[in-house]
Amino acid sequence: MQSNEFDGNAAFSGGGFMPSQATQTTPDRPSSASKNSDARCLLPLTVKQLVDLSRGGESDISIEGVDVNNIVLVGKVSKIDNAVSECTFRVDDGTGWVECTKWVHEHLDSVEVDAISVGMYVRVYGQLKSIHSRRTVHTFSIRPVTDYNEITNHFIECIYVHFYNTKMRGCINTQPGMTNSVSGMTAQPQVANSNFGDPGKGYSYEANQTSQYNNDEEQIRALSSMVLQYLRQPACIAFEMGVSSVVVARELNISVDKVRQTLDFLASEGLVYTTTDDYFKFTDA
Amino acid sequence: MDISSPAAFVNGGLLRMHLGRRVRTVLQVTQSDIASAMGKSPDGYQLVAKGSPPVPLSSYVEVVGVAENENTIQAELWTNFGDTFGNLSSPYENLGLF
Repeated sequence: MQSNEFDGNAAFSGGGFMPSQATQTTPDRPSSASKNSDARCLLPLTVKQLVDLSRGGESDISIEGVDVNNIVLVGKVSKIDNAVSECTFRVDDGTGWVECTKWVHEHLDSVEVDAISVGMYVRVYGQLKSIHSRRTVHTFSIRPVTDYNEITNHFIECIYVHFYNTKMRGCINTQPGMTNSVSGMTAQPQVANSNFGDPGKGYSYEANQTSQYNNDEEQIRALSSMVLQYLRQPACIAFEMGVSSVVVARELNISVDKVRQTLDFLASEGLVYTTTDDYFKFTDA
Repeated sequence: MDISSPAAFVNGGLLRMHLGRRVRTVLQVTQSDIASAMGKSPDGYQLVAKGSPPVPLSSYVEVVGVAENENTIQAELWTNFGDTFGNLSSPYENLGLF
């Protein structure tokens, strides 16, 4: 996707006639771009999250364990700097402000930036850049917000993604086979949404995401996955006698009743078996 | 509005916890004049926003300002949020979903 690889210098070297070769050789590319581009996701963020991103001398920018590349922001434009080939907007969402730069090369770009004025709420899609330790957003798209429910929705999404990337991951013990430490989702899907099936991705913003969850079913599947993953660990498999349901409940921070219910369900599916009373082992050890 | 004084989202119940600080909220306007606007907060409290409301004023308006007391905001920024804020029925009706 050309927009992901777009870089002002690269597009113009070679007269723009060989964009694919030119973009591959740009020296200032962040190293995260050399990873599989499928691992990138679009994160909704607040400006405060953007500014607080881990710095620590790493060349990869990450937040809550997820590589930050493409982001969505919603905020009010408080300043516009219009230059010949670029336009810089200062976008303020109430948690802070950040400069968003949109390169203007074609007529479509100038139509886009002309539609924005100071005081207007906008939605910005862009790529996070760090120039002299100052965060800026290289903007792919900036458009006015017409339905103000978008603002509320964006913040709710930021909260959800934050919880998804922190709490959901914290519930899961890391699997020995999982080497992809940068993914926001470290295990099998914890929610019933099949869009999350790819374990290499963090939470990604799916425009066509359906939200028809059956809460009970989702909960049972989530619990079963968690318990099963816990029992699949080599440490648990090493126990001849298996693991008691009380221990599982304690480790996963779930009530014993729920764990027992889940273990009974897994046993009926043949995924775990009982060794002695209340001790369970994963079947395919 | 800058990073040194971010505005916290408040409703009527939370306003008292942010007295003297920058807050923001959306009001459903019940009455307005040249120097203030009175409206209902998202949780049903009657709040007053002092300042200069925009003309014309839509049904829903976002105000950003300093919380003066537990039902008044000294507003610095006003944004008209239209007449159908928080109302889900209209866009879905157009899609024929319900």
